[in-house]
Amino acid sequence: MTRVLGDAWPLPGLDDRNRAFFTAGVLMLQQCKRCQHVQHPPEDVCEACQSFDLGGFESAGAGRVESVIVVHHPLHPGMADIVPYAVVAVALDDVPGVLLTGNVTNRAPDAVAIGDRVEVTFEEVVDTANNVTLKIPQWQAVDG
Amino acid sequence: MHGAAAIAGIGESTYYERGGSPHSEFQLACIAIQRAVEDAGLELADIDGFVSYMDSRNDPIRLARALGIRNLRWTGSPWSGGGNNSCASIQAADAAVSAGYAKHVVVFRALAQGQFGRFGQSGGGGGGGYLGGAFAWNAIYGLMTPAQQCALHTARFMHDHGISQEALCEISLACYANAQLNPRALRYGKPLTREAYHASRWIVTPFHLYDCCPENDGAAAAVVTTAERARDLAQKPAAIVAAAQGVGPAFATYTQDTLGSSHYGQVAEHLWQNAGVVAQDVDVAQFYENFTGPVLMAMCEMGFASPDGIESFVKDGALQGPDAKLPFNTSGGNIGEAYIHGFEMINESVRQIRGTSTCQAPNVERALVVGGPGYSPGSAVLLGASA
Ligand SMILES: [Zn+2]
Repeated sequence: MTRVLGDAWPLPGLDDRNRAFFTAGVLMLQQCKRCQHVQHPPEDVCEACQSFDLGGFESAGAGRVESVIVVHHPLHPGMADIVPYAVVAVALDDVPGVLLTGNVTNRAPDAVAIGDRVEVTFEEVVDTANNVTLKIPQWQAVDG
Repeated sequence: MHGAAAIAGIGESTYYERGGSPHSEFQLACIAIQRAVEDAGLELADIDGFVSYMDSRNDPIRLARALGIRNLRWTGSPWSGGGNNSCASIQAADAAVSAGYAKHVVVFRALAQGQFGRFGQSGGGGGGGYLGGAFAWNAIYGLMTPAQQCALHTARFMHDHGISQEALCEISLACYANAQLNPRALRYGKPLTREAYHASRWIVTPFHLYDCCPENDGAAAAVVTTAERARDLAQKPAAIVAAAQGVGPAFATYTQDTLGSSHYGQVAEHLWQNAGVVAQDVDVAQFYENFTGPVLMAMCEMGFASPDGIESFVKDGALQGPDAKLPFNTSGGNIGEAYIHGFEMINESVRQIRGTSTCQAPNVERALVVGGPGYSPGSAVLLGASA
């Protein structure tokens, strides 16, 4: 799968906090083991009960577009053939309150609207320098 | 504490287009500071404190040495961020002089983007490499710049409240119109028409080119002291009636309950509580407009209009000129005068209290400055002709 922003777009530098999100191949968020609160981005502390005992929560990855912008201005000359592209904020059906950002892989930038139903999909990229396969969460629009 | 401190002097360098300054950023800071001290009727040796914001490169020790200040008693800088802290910097100086930690604190902001490159312009994209830390969560999807971040909130706000592009246009038109009265302004002599606004290219929807403040070089400074001392100095004091900060979501974090917001709800609550007045008691207001859209949200959150009523509040040139219902960004603001990260708005509010603005609102008793919207902690300050 070709990446929405092109194969030259930088990759996330993996660390203990983001590794599961960018490599699991399912939508893996951070969940408090004590109170079950799910938060994103991950933190060192549960924002609901202040516990340090944090684990993972696998979301089903179905949601709704809550906002969308279309980026036209290329930040550098190297981005000239990437624009225009859309960025969405997505609310998940099974995680109230949280928003995830991303791109919509199967629609033209100007064909994405607030209220569109989306489901998670993954951009698979091999980071050859670090010998790791990334599965970057993205969104595809679903009808209905 | 209420009105115990005042702004006694203001100064600024000449404002230059980006890269146009013949001086270094540090020299620009020194010029603005010297002029503010002179305006107050003080000597540099009287200054014993410095406050800036946005991770200022012009640190107080270097300034004290360069300006011959031997007796430094107070330095401070609000937690990192951007123009959201412009008014928190005044609050920090107020705290210092009101508590007696220092007598005359200079608050300032200087930037030479030709020398150092732009602010709020993060890396990412184009050349491969890796995205790290909090930045990575959104930059991996091409959501990187303040324009893009503020656009994501603005798009939702417009959608929820049926707000058209014209409302954003009005903010930009008002800044340009008021700048035509101000010879200091970089957009002086360069009026903007509604047609030119709509014809300008998209940066990121819903922001056209003219929804985004241009970049430039310059510095501005103010001297904060106690109200009691200010009475004996050279200018009519602008009392610091109240200043406030308030929290919102963490950087790079989007939540359902804060989407479509400028994150100024708590700032408003704290400010009006401290001031003992409400938005409708304000005679003139400066709203930090890095981009037009968040100003609409901030106006609503500060209590000037409802989200469903904001378009009629701003439409048909309602914000333009000294006789507007709410005289707004009367020097031209970041868009029209100069982008000194909102500090030019502090100085303009002092002019409104003194009665010396180039777009002078009538009978100004209270002048409001609202710091950079869309980031937290946000901040605001209310100045008064009396405490
Ligand atoms: Zn918890």
